[in-house]
Parts: sequence; structure tokens; C-alpha cells
Amino acid sequence: MSKIGVFVCHCGENISATVDCAKVAETAAGYDGVVYSIDYKYMCSDPGQSLIKSAIIEKGLTGVVVASCSPRMHEPTFRKACAEAGLNPYMCEMANLREHCSWVHEKGDATTEKAIDLVRILVEKVKKNHSLNAIKVPVTKTALVIGGGIAGIQASLDIANSGHKVILIERDPSIGGHMSQLSETFPTLDCSQCILTPRMVEVAQHENITLYTYAELESLEGFVGNFKAKIRRKSKSLDEKICTGCGQCTTKCPVKKIPSEFNEGLGKRTAIYVPFPQAVPNKPVIDRVNCTYYIKGKCKVCEIVCPTKAIRFDQEDTIVEAEVGAIVVATGFTVKQPDFFPEYGFGKYPDVITGLQFERLASASGPTLGEIRRPSDGKVPEKIVFIACAGSRDPAKGIPYCSKICCMYIAKHAMLYQHKVHGGKSYVFYMDIRAGGKMYEEFVRRAIEDDGVNYIRGRVSRIYEKNGKLIVKGADTLLGAMPVDIDADMVVLATAGIANEGSEELAQKLHTSYDSYHFFSEAHPKLKPVETNTAGIFLAGACQSPKDIPESVAMASGAAVKVACLFSQDELTREPLIAVVNRQAAPVFSSCVGCFLCVSACPYQAIEKEEIKNRTGEVIKTIAKVNPGLCQGCGTCVAFCRTKSIDIQGYTHEEMYSEVMALLNEY
Amino acid sequence: MDELRKRAKELLESKTISVVIGYEEGTYNRTRALFVEKPEEASKLIFDSRCVLNLATYITKQEVKAKGKMAIAATIPVMRSIIQLAYEFQVSDKNLLVLGITPESNLMEFKDLLEVETYIHKFEIEINASYREKLDKLAGMTQTERWKFWIDELSPCFKCYACRAACPMCYCHRCTVDFNQPQWIPVPSHELGNLEWHIMRAVHLMGRCIDCDGCANACPLGIPINLLNKRLLEDAKRHFGGYQPVLKGDHLMSTFKPDDKENFIR
Amino acid sequence: MADFEPKIVAFVCNWCTYAGADLTGTSRIKYATNVRIIRFPCTGRIDYMLLLKAFDEGADGIIVSGCHPNDCHYTSGNFHARRRWIMFRELCDFVGIDINRVLFSWVSAAEGSKWADVVNTTVTRIRELGPYTEYQKVAKHPIREVTNG
Repeated sequence: MSKIGVFVCHCGENISATVDCAKVAETAAGYDGVVYSIDYKYMCSDPGQSLIKSAIIEKGLTGVVVASCSPRMHEPTFRKACAEAGLNPYMCEMANLREHCSWVHEKGDATTEKAIDLVRILVEKVKKNHSLNAIKVPVTKTALVIGGGIAGIQASLDIANSGHKVILIERDPSIGGHMSQLSETFPTLDCSQCILTPRMVEVAQHENITLYTYAELESLEGFVGNFKAKIRRKSKSLDEKICTGCGQCTTKCPVKKIPSEFNEGLGKRTAIYVPFPQAVPNKPVIDRVNCTYYIKGKCKVCEIVCPTKAIRFDQEDTIVEAEVGAIVVATGFTVKQPDFFPEYGFGKYPDVITGLQFERLASASGPTLGEIRRPSDGKVPEKIVFIACAGSRDPAKGIPYCSKICCMYIAKHAMLYQHKVHGGKSYVFYMDIRAGGKMYEEFVRRAIEDDGVNYIRGRVSRIYEKNGKLIVKGADTLLGAMPVDIDADMVVLATAGIANEGSEELAQKLHTSYDSYHFFSEAHPKLKPVETNTAGIFLAGACQSPKDIPESVAMASGAAVKVACLFSQDELTREPLIAVVNRQAAPVFSSCVGCFLCVSACPYQAIEKEEIKNRTGEVIKTIAKVNPGLCQGCGTCVAFCRTKSIDIQGYTHEEMYSEVMALLNEY
Repeated sequence: MDELRKRAKELLESKTISVVIGYEEGTYNRTRALFVEKPEEASKLIFDSRCVLNLATYITKQEVKAKGKMAIAATIPVMRSIIQLAYEFQVSDKNLLVLGITPESNLMEFKDLLEVETYIHKFEIEINASYREKLDKLAGMTQTERWKFWIDELSPCFKCYACRAACPMCYCHRCTVDFNQPQWIPVPSHELGNLEWHIMRAVHLMGRCIDCDGCANACPLGIPINLLNKRLLEDAKRHFGGYQPVLKGDHLMSTFKPDDKENFIR
Repeated sequence: MADFEPKIVAFVCNWCTYAGADLTGTSRIKYATNVRIIRFPCTGRIDYMLLLKAFDEGADGIIVSGCHPNDCHYTSGNFHARRRWIMFRELCDFVGIDINRVLFSWVSAAEGSKWADVVNTTVTRIRELGPYTEYQKVAKHPIREVTNG
């Protein structure tokens, strides 16, 4: 027998101004199963909540309907109040008389009628509600951080310092990411490597961090608190334990002309190589694609010269299995190679380069040891042109968004150029200057006022070569679109920041969402920037959208805190509003026929197969089973099930049917 | 169909198969299903143009499965049903052997269900001309005329559920009509209730119906309920490129494309 | 017809349209009183039988609304719902159910005014179409569920 209590709130005058609350309460009192129905001025206040609690206790209520504001506002409040009075919180429902009724209609009979209807449908629903208990899921307190750039490093350190174990995987031979490629960082012009390498070393030496470089995620199974990751450690062709990092092999390797990835193609490296001198771990890897031994079966110089005999040509990839409770994705970004800007001559003219390539030129450990020199002939450019928004903010080219960091790094590059090439002339073609961070605007001002960088507001239509010079044809819109031609020695394109290669595959392995640009999707753009829609997977850094170093670091720490929160409990409590497959007595066991259509419908792969076995271990029937740790409660499977064997707590078939049937008919 | 009779006898004698499902001569010049367990009874198996009953209905029944490994004389529609059932985990190579019957009425035994799948994919699911005419006629009516047509057509339906029994895809132990908490479909014959039942069955068959006409053939009142399924087959083709039963892959209704086209959502 | 007040039922998803309707409320945008909202966790949960039941019980019009494609809180519930609606709508049309009485929409949590617009458009449209007597005439159920909890 249901004993429902109805509590109609006036919400001060918010509801009572247009709805006759007394009449709503009175009408509700007449419904079958309602034993208590009142109206009151402020249901969410302490006295209001006490009214509910005492009614539950005195009248022995089995269900409560609070007719007030939106459940998105106060459902937790009233459910907690019910729980405190001894009624299961999921026996409490809210009728939205404010946002959906009193605030959007004029005072009148129709409005009160609607309020009465809204209360009635929830009374009928609550009669069919079941008591539910929160679900507990155990938590493995190890985190997996994918990506060893500054964001991944920061996240790993924060999680490790909070006392939990971290596995950090990075697909390049060394951690450091793009920040290790930079010469100096804005707005302080700190040497990038100098501020980064201490962190890199800390990661390598931290007792809570296991570092796997030259490794990628092979597969992921499981759910929040209980992931099973398979990590492929690509073969470095080296026994890392006995390699001392002496560097003999890299010095003696005869294959010396491979374009260096770290130097963005501007320098060369050997087939056995360490990406950069400060690499962590400072151990080489063999590039099997270009190594003579793997191509022709000859050479082996490295093996001969190695003092500890650490080279292992036959070494294979290994798969490491790890159990982790949370994952932080920090895979970063890359810059678009503007092959689609044939008008700028990229690829055709070696002196038209990207911003990252300029960083390598400016870097003291780069291919030109920090001198700005043209890649074509090594001469120092007297005139240099920087082009902002090369690819970004261009819907016609498929990248409508702003890459955020380019305005700042162009200013930085121009300043570095001016500092290194006295008497040189630098020009920046820009659309807007986006310098919104702390000390950023002042930094750009310095470039313009102190270092004499010429900022021209306009775009560049074409670059072509003439007499050894690159003719840059642009326009100055602040002077009425006056054409500006500059005979530059070098052009730097601030190309768009885009998602890293392999982002789509990784997102699919993680079962997490990504947008049309392959950036990972956050759970909510405003309020949940570091979480994803997949419980247990967090984001840090530029893999979510282009951003600068302070933001990446902040986000990484944010993700680390989320992980620490997850790990602060031994068990996770989850809302029980999830799907359940029914079970019955033998010989039926369940009305589920095992067609598993629901499995393909589930966005979270939360439905598994369960084998029903007899006493001898023979499988009698295979039915569906919902993993309570993974199910997020969308109910898509429920609408698919032909036999209605799967139902979702809180929105069961009976409950929704009762709601619809009560809508238009009075009982 | 001597080849079929011979093969059936062989399979039963060698005890590879426990029961052969096929057709036999029935009453009033009709055929009916036959379950041969003794090798000598294999001589009763026949096959001719009257044999349209979809035998795949039987391979999900506990009483038949309990006999052991089954062999089934399967025309193309039956083969399609078998593949769809295999997709839905109701049948597998372990418990079924398919003795295919080609459109030329020749025996074609398949080693496994994969071969069956390859074979049936050579044939599109086509709606035949007389039904196409009926569908076009209905499409030409106004909404109110169509409503009247279906309410009138379905009001004699007395909920015998022969259509459900004849359909191989209706193997659910507990059908939605068996519910009374809540009572989705009313039990007795009822103008709207009958329509709801047939709509519900058509929806449950979306993406699974292979157009064998079993339902319409089984209906004692001759109500053309298969028109609903045929219309949905056409819609599936028009909107999503149609479907074929597959052993593994995407099902029409439980998958989607991010750019499914529609013109009615605001 | 002038006095006919349509009865509209709205099946909405909790995360987008319900929140959007809340926003309509907080923005105090006024719209017609004829709609009653039923909350679902996701449009993917909406069983088509419930739409038929709504007409059964006397609704003259139905609104089904959820998150925009790609914005589903549960990633893909609305994609499944969309495919289901495409097919179900064809079937309803074939059977002679007046599909002009069912309005589907995507209303996000930020689209308060769109929700008001959707409601008002639907009410106007149903008012023109009149009460759904054709359906209600045949819908006299012999069995009424007894509510005794």
C-alpha cells in the first residue's frame, strides 16, 4: 500500500503568485494513495524540511512528492531530508511547479490546472518507485598518465606527491614534449629547457612514478577505479638496465643524415640516437626504419663500440599489463604543416618555416646553435617576416578556431630575432593580437616599443621568390588596405595548433569523446574542463584545445586533484540510477533471450555477457548483465530491449507508463 | 527432392544429426513442417513451390534443440532468418547444419554459417510486384483514408498470435503482450489495441524482418500485416541503404551514423 | 474549435531540454500552458510505445525533444533515438497516424527561448489540426490499470 505525502511549496511568491498552491494540495489529497498533502511557503528551508521529515515519521510515508522548483535545483536537498527521516531517498520525486509552470505562465485556472497535472503524474510515478542503494565500486590507486610533455609531467608529479603510484607513458624516446623544443618561454623569456629539465629529472627519479618511454597504449578495458591497460613498450633495441648513456654509439653511427624530428627537420640525427642532449631517459633508441642493420643486415657498429654490450638487435616489443584506477590524457598537440598553403611556398622555399622550426633555430642546442640562419644558405636574415594566423581562424581551410598561443610566440620570436640580429628588421602580419594572460600584453608592447618589431595589420596573399629574396605580398588595413610588399630573407608561419596524430585512435581505445578536430572533449566546457564523459578519464593540456604552458600546468594539476579525489576513497559511491537485467527463478533465470542488441546500443560498453551454468558447470543460457561500475544510466538499452528484460532504476517501465497514463486522466 | 532425402537419411544414420527439419505433405494440398529423427522417415521429406513456411521458427524452440544437433532444409528466406538468428546468438554452427535449397530447387549443403552468409548476400531482399502495387496504393491515400483502411483491416484480428508463432524472429520467451504490469497491449481484440500490437511487432522487427511473408500466410483472416514490414524494409533502404542479415557487424537499429539524415527535427 | 485547448505531452531529456525549459523559466519567458513535461534521462530511453499511449490517453499533440547531435550527455543516446524516430515516423505515417501532431526537436540547455518557441508552435499547430478525435474514438480501453500502489 502506498502512503504518499505531497508537499506543495509557495517558494515565497514565486509559485503562489500564479499558481493556487492550496488548491493543488487539496486536489492531491484526494488521490488514491495520498495520505498527507500540504502547502507551505518555503519547502527547502529548515522548517520546511522538518515538515517533510516529521510527516514521514508520523504518517509512515512510503513516498514523497515535493512540488516546488526544478529537481535540478533541489532534488539532492529533499532526497537527503528524506534519507535523514528514514525514507529511502529514491522514493522522493519533485514536480517542477516553478521553472516549468509558475514562472512561464500567467496567473489563472489553466496554470493551476497544469500544476495539478504535474503533481499527479509524479504521485503516480512515485508509487512505482523502488528503494535503491548507492553502488560501491573498489578503486585501484594507481594512475596512468598518457603523454610526457609538461602537462603529463606536472600531472604525474602532483599525483605521485599525493602518495599514489603513477605510470607515465610517452611515445617518443624522451619525455619533455614541445616545451623541450622551445628556446625561451613567454612572457619571462626563461630558458625553456632550464625550467623543464629539473621536472623531467624529478619524474625519472620519483619513487612513485614508473616511466615508460617509446611506449604507447595498446588497449584499455574496464571502468573507473578498475581499468586494465595494456601498454606496448616498443623495442629500443637496447638493454636499458645496462646502458650507461655514454653516447659512443651515437657518435660512431655511420648513418648521419636522417632529418631530426626534435629539430623539426632542420637538423640531422643518426639512426641510433638520443633525441636531445637533456633527454630523459638519456638512453638511445635505434630507428629501425633507417638503421642499416635492419635494412641490409650489415653494420652493427654500435654493438661493437658499446662498452657494456647493451645493444640488442633482436629485442622485440613487450606488452606490459597494468591495473589502474584513473587515466590522465596529456598527449598534447602538434602544429599543422601548411602544405595546404601553396601560396606561401611552404615546402617549396626552404626559408619559409613554421614557428616550431624557428624555435629550434633560436635554441642554443639547436641545429644552428642559437643563431638565426636561413636553412637554405646559412646566411643570417636581415629581414624577417612573421605571419600570424597561418591556418587558424580560417573556416575555408577547415580550422575556424584560434590557436591561442601564436600571437604570443610571434612576439617572442620577433623579440629574440631582434636581440640576436642587431640591425635586423622584423615584420609581423597580424589580424588581431590576443595577449590575454598575465604580463602578456606588456610583453607584446615591449616587442613593439622596445625592440622595434613592425606590426602590420593585414594578411599575406602570396609569397614568391625573386632574386634570392622572398617577396611577401601583404596589405596594411589600418592604412586603408594599402599594399605592402616586403623582400624578406626568411618567413615564419604561425601555423595552426592541431590535435596530435593518433588522437582519434587513442580516444577510441579509451572510449572517450573527441570533437571534429580530434581534440578530446571535456565533460562540460565551463564547469568540467578536466573531466571527460567517461568516468575516470581526465584531460590535461593541449590535447583538449590549444593552450599555453601556464594553462597546461594548471589543468594538469586540476586533473591530478580529480585523480586524488577518486583515490581518496577505497570505494567509489555511484548513483544507483543504472540499468539492470532482470533475474528470475530457474528454469527461466531471466526473461532476457540473449540477443545482445543492447550491447551495441550502449555508449559505455557497460553490458556484458553472463553465463548461467548448472551444477555441473554446463552453460544453460547466456544473458546480458550490466556492469554497475560502467553504466551511466542513459536508458538507451531499455528502449531497445524487445522483451523489456532490461530496465533502468529511477525510470523503469512501470514508472514511466504510470506517469504517462496519469497525465491526462483523473483517477 | 531425392538428394535431400538421401542426405537426410545419411546424416541421421551416421548420428551426426539428431533431427532433420523439412517439409512433408499435409492436408488439403498444403505442406507442413516435418521433424525427422529416424533415418527411414527421411523418405517423407518433400520440396516444391508450396513449401513457403519459414522453418527457421523451429530452430529456437527448446523442444527441438533438446533433441541434439539439427539440420534444416532451407530456402533463401529461411537461410536469411538463420543468419539473423545467428547474429542474435540464438543458433550457431555447433547446433545447426544448413541443407540449402537453391532457387532452382537443388540441394546445396553448407559447411558452416559463414558459407550461408556469403551465399545469401548474392541476393537482395526484394519486395515483389503485387505487394509493391499495394504499398503504392496506400501511399497514394490521404492520412485519414489510410487510418480508416488499417483500423478496418485490423478490427477482425482476434489476437490469435499466429503471426508471432510463424515468425522466426519472434522467439522471445516473454513477449511484450505477456506483460500486465504495465499492460502495454490490451489482451482482447480491440480496434486500437490490434493496431498497437501490429505496430509494436513491426517495430520490433525493424532491421530484422527478412520478408518471408510467414506472418501474412499464417494469419487465419488473411490480413496483410506483412505490408507494415515491407514498408519498413523500403524505408530502411531509402534512409539507411537497406540491410542484409550478417553474422557479425552492425544492426540497423542499434547502430547509427552521426550524419543520419532527417528533415523533421527542429 | 475556438474553445479547443490542445493537450500536449512533452517527452524530454533531463540534461538538455529539461534544463533548457528550466532556463525558459528563469528567464521568465512566457509560453502556452498546454504542455506537460515528462522527464527522461536521455532521449534514448524514450520508448515509442509511450508516444502511442499518450495519444491513447487523450493527448492531441506530442513533443519529443533532446540534446543536439554530438552533445548528448551520454554520448550517443540521441543518435539512437533519431534513427528510431526516422523509422517509427514512417511506420506511423503508413498506418495513418497523423504525424503532424508529433514534433521532434533538439533543444539544448542554453536554448530557453527555443523551448518556448517549440511549445508555442506546437500548440498553434495542434489548435489548427483540432482535437485528435480520430484516434481517441477508437481508444476506449477495456482495461484500466488499478492504482493501489
